Amino acid sequence: MSLSLSARNVVKRYAGVVALSDANLDVNAGEVVALIGANGSGKSTLSKIINGVVVLDRGQLLLNGQPVNFSSPQAAKNLGISTVFQDLSLVPHMTVAENVWLAREPLQWGGIVDQKQIREKTDALLGLFAGTYKDSLRPEVTVASLPSDEKQIVEILKAVSFEPQLLILDEATASLDSRQVERLFEMVVRWKQDGKAIIFVSHRMEEIFRIADRYYVLRNGKTVGSGEMKQVKTKDIVALMVGDESAESVVERKKSVRQNSLSQKIQLEVTDLSTDGLRGVNLSLHAGELLGIGGLKGQGQRTLLHTLFGALDHTGEVKFDGALVRFKSPRQAMNKGVALVPGERAKEGLLFIRSILENLLLPSWGDYGFPTRIQKAQHSAAEVSTSLSLKMAGLNEPVSGLSGGNAQKVVIGKWLLRKPRLLLLDDPTKGVDVGTKAEFYRLLAKLCADGVSVLFYSSDDEELLGLCDRVLVMHDGLIRTELAGESLTKSNLVAASLGASQESMQ
Amino acid sequence: MKRITISPPVAAVLLAIILFILSGLLPNGFGNNLDIARGQALNIIRLSVFLGVIAAGQTLVIISGSEGIDLSVGAVVTLSAIVTYVMVNGQDGHILPALAAAILVGAVIGLVNGIGVAFLQISPLVMTLGMSGVVTGLILVVQHGNVSGAVSPIMTKVIARPLIFGIPGAIIIWIVFAGLMWLLMERTAFGKNLFAIGTNRITARLSGVNVTGMVLATYMLAGALSGLGGFLVLGNTGVVFINIGNPFLFPSIAAVAVGGTLLSGGKGSYFGTMAGALVLTLLTSLLTTMQMPDSVRRMVLGATLLVLISIYGRQHSLRQ
Amino acid sequence: MNIQRWQSFSRRNPYLFSLLLLVIIVFVNLFFQHNIFERETLNSNMRIFLPLIILAAGQAVVILGGGIDISVGSIVSIVNVILATQVGLEGDSQKMYLIMALALLVSMLAGALNGFFVAFMRLQPIITTYATSFLYAGLALFILPNPGGGIPQSFSNFYRDTTPLGLPLAFIFIAIILLAWGLFQKTRYGRYLFAVGGKAEAAYETAVPVSAVQFSTYVIAGLMAGISGIAITMLVASGNAGTGDQLTLSSITAVVIGGTTLSGGIGGVAGAIIGAVILGLVKNIISFANIDTWWQTLVNAAIIVVALAAPGVINLFRRRR
Repeated sequence: MSLSLSARNVVKRYAGVVALSDANLDVNAGEVVALIGANGSGKSTLSKIINGVVVLDRGQLLLNGQPVNFSSPQAAKNLGISTVFQDLSLVPHMTVAENVWLAREPLQWGGIVDQKQIREKTDALLGLFAGTYKDSLRPEVTVASLPSDEKQIVEILKAVSFEPQLLILDEATASLDSRQVERLFEMVVRWKQDGKAIIFVSHRMEEIFRIADRYYVLRNGKTVGSGEMKQVKTKDIVALMVGDESAESVVERKKSVRQNSLSQKIQLEVTDLSTDGLRGVNLSLHAGELLGIGGLKGQGQRTLLHTLFGALDHTGEVKFDGALVRFKSPRQAMNKGVALVPGERAKEGLLFIRSILENLLLPSWGDYGFPTRIQKAQHSAAEVSTSLSLKMAGLNEPVSGLSGGNAQKVVIGKWLLRKPRLLLLDDPTKGVDVGTKAEFYRLLAKLCADGVSVLFYSSDDEELLGLCDRVLVMHDGLIRTELAGESLTKSNLVAASLGASQESMQ
Repeated sequence: MKRITISPPVAAVLLAIILFILSGLLPNGFGNNLDIARGQALNIIRLSVFLGVIAAGQTLVIISGSEGIDLSVGAVVTLSAIVTYVMVNGQDGHILPALAAAILVGAVIGLVNGIGVAFLQISPLVMTLGMSGVVTGLILVVQHGNVSGAVSPIMTKVIARPLIFGIPGAIIIWIVFAGLMWLLMERTAFGKNLFAIGTNRITARLSGVNVTGMVLATYMLAGALSGLGGFLVLGNTGVVFINIGNPFLFPSIAAVAVGGTLLSGGKGSYFGTMAGALVLTLLTSLLTTMQMPDSVRRMVLGATLLVLISIYGRQHSLRQ
Repeated sequence: MNIQRWQSFSRRNPYLFSLLLLVIIVFVNLFFQHNIFERETLNSNMRIFLPLIILAAGQAVVILGGGIDISVGSIVSIVNVILATQVGLEGDSQKMYLIMALALLVSMLAGALNGFFVAFMRLQPIITTYATSFLYAGLALFILPNPGGGIPQSFSNFYRDTTPLGLPLAFIFIAIILLAWGLFQKTRYGRYLFAVGGKAEAAYETAVPVSAVQFSTYVIAGLMAGISGIAITMLVASGNAGTGDQLTLSSITAVVIGGTTLSGGIGGVAGAIIGAVILGLVKNIISFANIDTWWQTLVNAAIIVVALAAPGVINLFRRRR
């Protein structure tokens, strides 16, 4: 049975936030289609619509030319669609074998699950990745005890065990090492020859060019381009992903921020900072400096920022303003003038159902006396939202009604109200529209000019290259490379992200 | 498109008015006699005061989120009523120390609840249910079968009798109390942070809110308010008995739900709870007037709550 | 031992803590009640423990599936008053069987109502079952406003005197429950239960019928509450609309002491049974330890709270180091 699937003009909103505005995609048996886009461009949402986990608001899915309507993941599975989920669909406390065969356990007499067969079949599947994982990965160990690459392998095997006609690989390679990726690609080639259709969601260009036949590029929820991989170059795809405007705004900012900040005093000095996921980080940050942190996703950047903000226990020394500090809670860090803009806006940065006013003043209520001088609070909130040109219906409207960019302004605004001296930014422009990005770059420039130190992690390499004088590249919980001046180039940044050491690059 | 929506507290007040008019239409109701109607209305409001004050603590705990609930209020009300009864012992001069003791007893029990929930990560339901057992045990120890004591004349006068313009003192106390609750929830950092931790504890923590401290303080305050409730309830009944507080437990939660406070936390108001207390008191009194037995009253209360949470309390669907 | 190893160790052996506690409690009990292992004492003890054991087993299934059922005690009360009012002391035993079947049906319906609101209406389990508990308790009180009624003598005799193979009847029940649980765990449905309780989103994405599984756990809890109600009625041989009031908390406590986490997905029914036995033995100890009657409730409740707090205290202590 060969299969073709098309998504036509798909629209999806979450609580007022538009995830997809006009997504289109076709995939046929025997081909690998790459779905490309920046973070927050809607790749995962589109794949979740195709596999029936998310309901589309408008638009159509066509299977072999016929409109289909998946009422559940079960329905999609029955039609031969299976997914490797980015955030893994594994139950942590169940074993590898139980996870792989969940809902399709081979049964023996009386409906009892055939443990022996499950184990053998799992072993056989594990054979696909033989030699690329540690001995500790066995069918009977619990998933929670596995390292992230092996969890990813289990997730892949689980999707494969459905023997699907259409396989969606959503960032399946993100936590795999090169040998494992190699093995996966060998399999993808084989599946393609067997007549399976494959959707490959990724932002690793090199992998996309190796494996995909055709591509679709999503930008801000819209399919902005598609075609044959053979007829396209990396920079064309990047241009599609980024759009034209942002490149301009980065350049503009470049001129405004770059002052020689390194002559000023050291604001933050970190020595041998370690915690779960960080293995001895050293760095120093000058007053008024915008220091970039790069690297692939999940290499400890988030942990580093959260640790500096006192949200995680740690060992090692942190010197702030020349004095040794040991923040036991975000509150202590905040009181010393540290601020964190977290990476997961909805989960970590906002009180979704509360008003814009309450979100802006959340860290500061204590400063408005008893009883709270609400007028004064409103005044400060209005002031900061004007300075950020926040587009809103009113301060008392819930923050859930704002667009991604405006919501992020609220997160930043709540810290600006406190006039921080150290700003920790965890991928702050993720899912933010281009116009707001440009405003945001200008804001950073202004803050640095005022002497605020900024530690800036971004998953967008262009942003780091354009904004920062110095970039620290993290890999596997360590700062592997410091790039500055001449060495701060795109190719060095990419090489360092993949774990190449400084020496090998020079 | 703008839809006309009625906020839950307003809906609850409307419901209370409808129920009140209904009760007047009953064969033995007030009919068209306005004087009796006024007297009955005042009496209903006076009776709502006790549930209203006890449900104040419940409101705070439920707003604090993370399945926050306080099932120890019934036992705490009983214990603080007994403490008040014994300490006052008929003497007007002992009222203030007794009031302080009643509140303190409640606060200590609330603090233990808070420690269990905030530090030991015990689910609020299990912790407060367990503490309810402990407090019931304490009551048996303190009471030893019978206690000697008495309320004092001033207590009865202020709480149970008309004070000025024929308005019972309890109602005046409630109005002042409501003002203070509003101040606490809307015009203090505590109140603002309470809504914050109820909405999203991670965001709150990463915005410098001391979440553990807030949870501790909330449960402690809820206990203290139950203690105050026990004091007031005793002033109304004049005598203490071992189950004096238990009938308030379930209605305290129902009143919060009726008032439109989100049972998952982060949204709600004390005005809603006040309206909820009125509705539930009216409902109970209506059923009593209709000579419904205790069993039917319970079933009606249970069904009312079930209907209300079906309207307000839906969780996110698995499928987005 | 570091935190992770301790956590994985205690996860692989969820019953460890409860077994340890059981051994300690049995020894303490032995000190106060020397004849605890004699047939008569054992039989009379287990007879009293059995209703809670059955109830806790049902509660464990709900909690494993990620829910909680506050209404099980009220369901026990309904079954108790139905049995005590519909047959009578002089009643015919055929009729008694019929009413028992009817009572079980009612208990399953009550569970199904809970399940409907939680699984399909997607209401919060705690507050929903709290509301229905009032509904059910009211119904029980409606059927039997004042304590009284009774069941045919032969049934209470049967419950008191039956000792198959010289063992207490409760042991047979426990064996049946454990056997059923053992088989159940090995079925596909058993896997579903752990998946839904462990991570409902992942289960959903894997095409597990999440709502149906959640629904079924409440029906099972209802059924077990029904059986528990029959057991307790045979034990006390009379009716009281408040029979089950105290049992809800005990059933949850038993499950938690038995090593099942309230967040779901970890633990099992065997632990809940151990937990129920521990709770029964604690009561035993208190009544044999010459503790002043007025203090007994307090001591019992305090021990329960301490047992609930113990895992949290251990974690806190480990985190600090």
